[in-house]
Amino acid sequence: MKNPQEMRDVYIVGIGLTKWGFYEDQACYDFGSEAIFTALKDAEMSWREVNAAFCGSVYQGTGSGHQAVKEVGLTGVPVVNVENACSSGGSALRLAYLMVASEVYDVVVALGMEKMPRGPIPSTAFRPWELASGFNIQVGNYALETVEYMEKTGVTEEDLARVTVKNRKNGALNPNARFQKPVTMEEVLGSRMVAEPLRLLHCCPLADGSAAAVLCSRDKLRSKARGVKVAASVLVSGVYGDGMLPSGMVDSLLHKPEVGMAELSAQQAYEISGYGPEDINIVQGYDTTVPSELWGMEKLGFCRPGEAAGLLRDGKFGLEGALPVNTDGGLMSRGHPLGATGLGQICELVTQLRGEAGKRQVKKARVGLSHAMGAGPNSSVTILTC
Amino acid sequence: MSDDSKQPISLMEGFWSQAVEEGGPRLLGSRCTSCGEVYFPPKPKGWCVHCQQYTLETVPLGARGRLAAATVVRQAPAGGFYHGPVPYAYGMVDLPEGVRLISQIASDNLDDIKVGGPVELVIRPLYTDQEGREVTTFMFQSKA
Ligand SMILES: [Zn+2]
Repeated sequence: MKNPQEMRDVYIVGIGLTKWGFYEDQACYDFGSEAIFTALKDAEMSWREVNAAFCGSVYQGTGSGHQAVKEVGLTGVPVVNVENACSSGGSALRLAYLMVASEVYDVVVALGMEKMPRGPIPSTAFRPWELASGFNIQVGNYALETVEYMEKTGVTEEDLARVTVKNRKNGALNPNARFQKPVTMEEVLGSRMVAEPLRLLHCCPLADGSAAAVLCSRDKLRSKARGVKVAASVLVSGVYGDGMLPSGMVDSLLHKPEVGMAELSAQQAYEISGYGPEDINIVQGYDTTVPSELWGMEKLGFCRPGEAAGLLRDGKFGLEGALPVNTDGGLMSRGHPLGATGLGQICELVTQLRGEAGKRQVKKARVGLSHAMGAGPNSSVTILTC
Repeated sequence: MSDDSKQPISLMEGFWSQAVEEGGPRLLGSRCTSCGEVYFPPKPKGWCVHCQQYTLETVPLGARGRLAAATVVRQAPAGGFYHGPVPYAYGMVDLPEGVRLISQIASDNLDDIKVGGPVELVIRPLYTDQEGREVTTFMFQSKA
């Protein structure tokens, strides 16, 4: 196995993000190709320079990435579709990164796009008997994990609501967010109960959207100032015994692993990048439901189990705090176009590390981390640095 | 000829046995003779995914456990796979053999399910199929 530290440096030189919402009169390849155009323009590159494209999506059907590339140019460029549930975008980025790092290609596009099926999503990450038993309701699965988390840590409903309030506050400063209106604690705690203890405003909204990134080797960099280096891009797909109910996986009671899936992905990313949690200035966490942002911060090693809610209360994870989390509003404000989400997080990190985030700009952002989890199960961690 | 079209059928095969001499139904699981890991539902291939060997044997599991977490779902899951009642409760049940499983929670009062307490296995109808047969499944209910 090759050590990523011994491979060449890879830079993200262009990003493209469509405003996320519902595109009733567009297909995914319409706004997917739009993200590619924007990313190329941002990179000051032409499509002819691109050697390969990896396209993350979940519910878009056969060869959807090709449909997007068809709108940009069929230059013989190889296109590979990546379906990896909520980590599809992160997985597409990782493949693009590895292809450049290993010197197979010099310039690669990573795309994520999703036109969400309307209504609740019929997750198929379950066995037939689980589907027939009603266990494929993801809010319910997160709710069960939340019940146990609250019991273990003493986290309260108010703590959960505080995550929503923070993220929606950040989202109000993000012109690309689906929701740009802040919410109050009272609104969150008064919102409809979906599956105890999770209320509507504890759960991220769905959205259509796309995001793209252009990655290249150092010698292809047009502008050194705007290139953001990929310090690590890691994917861990499940660790036996570490439960992940949205993937139909329960904890092992007899053989709980010493290091769980998310923890392992973080450890690998820290080892490859040479950075530790103390070096990270900005995080894009995984708030598909708000408690997962809290336990995510703990699993990523930013604090000990049960401490995240207290740090949030003390302001550490706010825009002005020591470690801002979900600076663009997270999934709670952006919405969650499954295949695009991971790359949406990357676009925000790149924007912040370049110092181009406007009103939501974090001061002295030098090293950023993004984390996407979900069915599979998968946990993908990316560390970027400027 | 007897008409057995109205006999109840099980939602899943091989998940439990009606061990009458044991005093009621028992869930079935798999136990690894090498590492001791316990699985529910049973794994017919006999392959232990923990220690990765063909070392599993089918074992009866206890009919009692602890309710580790529960939630009440107030909207039908998407996809049309689920035909049971809504709202419904389900949760994580820990059995003393050392296995956690996901189960529906049987309760007359969904708003009053006590997490952390003892629960026991029951076999209950989940819905009636198009031919008019009751389709049964395993559930756990709080012990009085
Ligand atoms: Zn074993």
